[in-house]
Amino acid sequence: MKFDKALKKKLLKKLKSYLNAEAEQLQHEDEGLSKVLKKLKKKEGHLKELIAAEKDAEEREILEQELNIVHSQRKKGIGLLSEIRKKNDAE
Amino acid sequence: MRNTLRKIILPSILLVLAYGFWVSPDFKEISAGVAIFLFGMLALEEGFKAFTGGVLEKILKKTTNRLWKSVSFGIVSTTIMQSSSLVSVITISFLGAGLIGLAQGIGIIFGANLGTTTGAWLVAGFGLKVKISAYAMPMLVFGVIMIFQKSRHLKGLGYILAGLGFLFLGIHHMKEGFETFKSAIDLAEYAVAGYPGLFLFTLIGIFATVVMQSSHATLVLIITALAAQQISYENALALAIGANVGTTITAILGALSSNEVGKRLAGAHLIFNVTTGLIAIAFIHQLLVAVDVISAYVGIGETDYTLKLAVFHTLFNLIGIAVMIPFTNHLVRFLERLIKSEPDRYAQPKYLNESALEFGDAGLEALRMETNRVYAKATDIIAKGLSLEKEEILSDTKLKKVIQVHTKAVAYDIDDVYEHEIKSLCSAILDYTNKLSSAEPGIARKISRIRVANQSILSALKDVKHLQKNMLQYIGSDNPHISGEYNRLRQRIAKVIRRLENIRLKGSDSTSILSLDALKLTLEKNMALLHERMNELIRDGNISPDMAISLMNDSNYTYSIIHNLIQINRNYLKSEEGVETEAEHMIALNNDEIDSVLADNNDNAEQQ
Repeated sequence: MKFDKALKKKLLKKLKSYLNAEAEQLQHEDEGLSKVLKKLKKKEGHLKELIAAEKDAEEREILEQELNIVHSQRKKGIGLLSEIRKKNDAE
Repeated sequence: MRNTLRKIILPSILLVLAYGFWVSPDFKEISAGVAIFLFGMLALEEGFKAFTGGVLEKILKKTTNRLWKSVSFGIVSTTIMQSSSLVSVITISFLGAGLIGLAQGIGIIFGANLGTTTGAWLVAGFGLKVKISAYAMPMLVFGVIMIFQKSRHLKGLGYILAGLGFLFLGIHHMKEGFETFKSAIDLAEYAVAGYPGLFLFTLIGIFATVVMQSSHATLVLIITALAAQQISYENALALAIGANVGTTITAILGALSSNEVGKRLAGAHLIFNVTTGLIAIAFIHQLLVAVDVISAYVGIGETDYTLKLAVFHTLFNLIGIAVMIPFTNHLVRFLERLIKSEPDRYAQPKYLNESALEFGDAGLEALRMETNRVYAKATDIIAKGLSLEKEEILSDTKLKKVIQVHTKAVAYDIDDVYEHEIKSLCSAILDYTNKLSSAEPGIARKISRIRVANQSILSALKDVKHLQKNMLQYIGSDNPHISGEYNRLRQRIAKVIRRLENIRLKGSDSTSILSLDALKLTLEKNMALLHERMNELIRDGNISPDMAISLMNDSNYTYSIIHNLIQINRNYLKSEEGVETEAEHMIALNNDEIDSVLADNNDNAEQQ
């Protein structure tokens, strides 16, 4: 009797994790994206500081290119994050 | 020197033999018997080779973890195959692959020495007593039919049967030859008694074995000659000792072209056989008494000298093993000191160990570390290929200055360095990825990235090799336009190496994978600028059409080198563990997105 109960519990847990697999994956992606976006925001600020301090035109141009890239990446990341959150809300 | 000796020795032997055949038909028959016997041994080896690559290796792996097991393996395998040289070859291949240690290898060689004495028993006990040519004929017929079959194992069996058939036929001819030879010349008249005879016939035994490259054949020859009473029993014993020593010459000759492992094994073989031979010579009288006692005990007739020779052969090899086994570890240390490993001409993997293969994560880490090592070597080669120094590229000095200092082209053989430093490592990495490929899907994906990273390393080096050709010619050119352009190409590659190094140094704390997008943007932008400038240079006649074509090709190589450098790092970084790695992978810009950032950049520049 005790065994049956334990088995049932185990099976239910498996079923739950199976049904929640997608939600878990979304949660996982949400976490990862949030962390990276935070880092990118910090990087953006840092690059702006570097550009302001850089005197060499060529170096400044490279930094500006990098800033543009970071900006685009953040934009893309925010878009992806909002999509994931929408999906999460829908479930 | 060796070649000259070979050139002299071979024709001399052929001439002596030809003269011998002309003078004596019996000598011809004996020689033909030896030739057929040796051919049989070759066929036998060929046959057993068909069965290696499976059973034999499996047995060898399982039965050589202890010294006594190695010795037993040597005895049994040589008894079955009747060829100590085949067993030696397999042992060397296993030693070379690191599957067994030198001590185990030596154990097998000791055992093979004892195993090979069973040949004397077979010939003396069976070959001479029965008309073995009667068995030889059907064996040859069945053997040859089987050789023509498609199945590898049937073919192998065919070679074994044919080999045995030839062995028997060879023995038959030697026996016949000696019997008729006896009526013409009695070689026994030339018998030398006492120690001079012992030394003389030992030397003859060594010589005969070196010429025939088989102690087995020498021994059969001795036994058949002894059976025909063409040599005295004492001299036959000396010949057998000589054959035992002579067989090591074959092993030494074989080991000359082998690596240090093979040389050490041949060294052990030589030490064992010479020691055994010396013991046999020193204690010949005691051994003779022992042979008589043993023969009487097992029921061998007092005048049955051929079987007594077999007893002697086994006994002195057995004594050799008993004497040498306690010194095996000393022998190993001595040989390792004497024959040192040559410094590797080719770079060897540092992290790819077999034990890590059992754990997917550890194996992946080993692959990453090794790839990192190859990348470090590759960037060094790229720097030198551009007539620059990597240390300076990675320093804080402005790259323009670094380039200005190195305007002189320095010849650097990329092919040679690639062959010695990169190729062996990359192939070891690819081999390791194949062995690891059965891991779980997540790891398999990362392994595949490592593989792609290594392929990109190879492509980058190939491109540098092409780029180097014109670059060496133009960087110091009197035409400032062409030298300026080529120096700009050098600077670009150097800049990317420096930026990549900075990204790598920041490690997992930063958004490394995403930082590579900025490099891609710079690459595309610079490429567009170069094309514009090149058109201008051609239009204004500042560079010749030949220079323009070279520059066009080389700018493509530069693009490819930078692209590959970025790809190496992208795949390397992506093979890292982590939630953020996946997120970075999602955010990383694709080619269209980078193009659109580039277009925005250009619009902004125009507006300004």
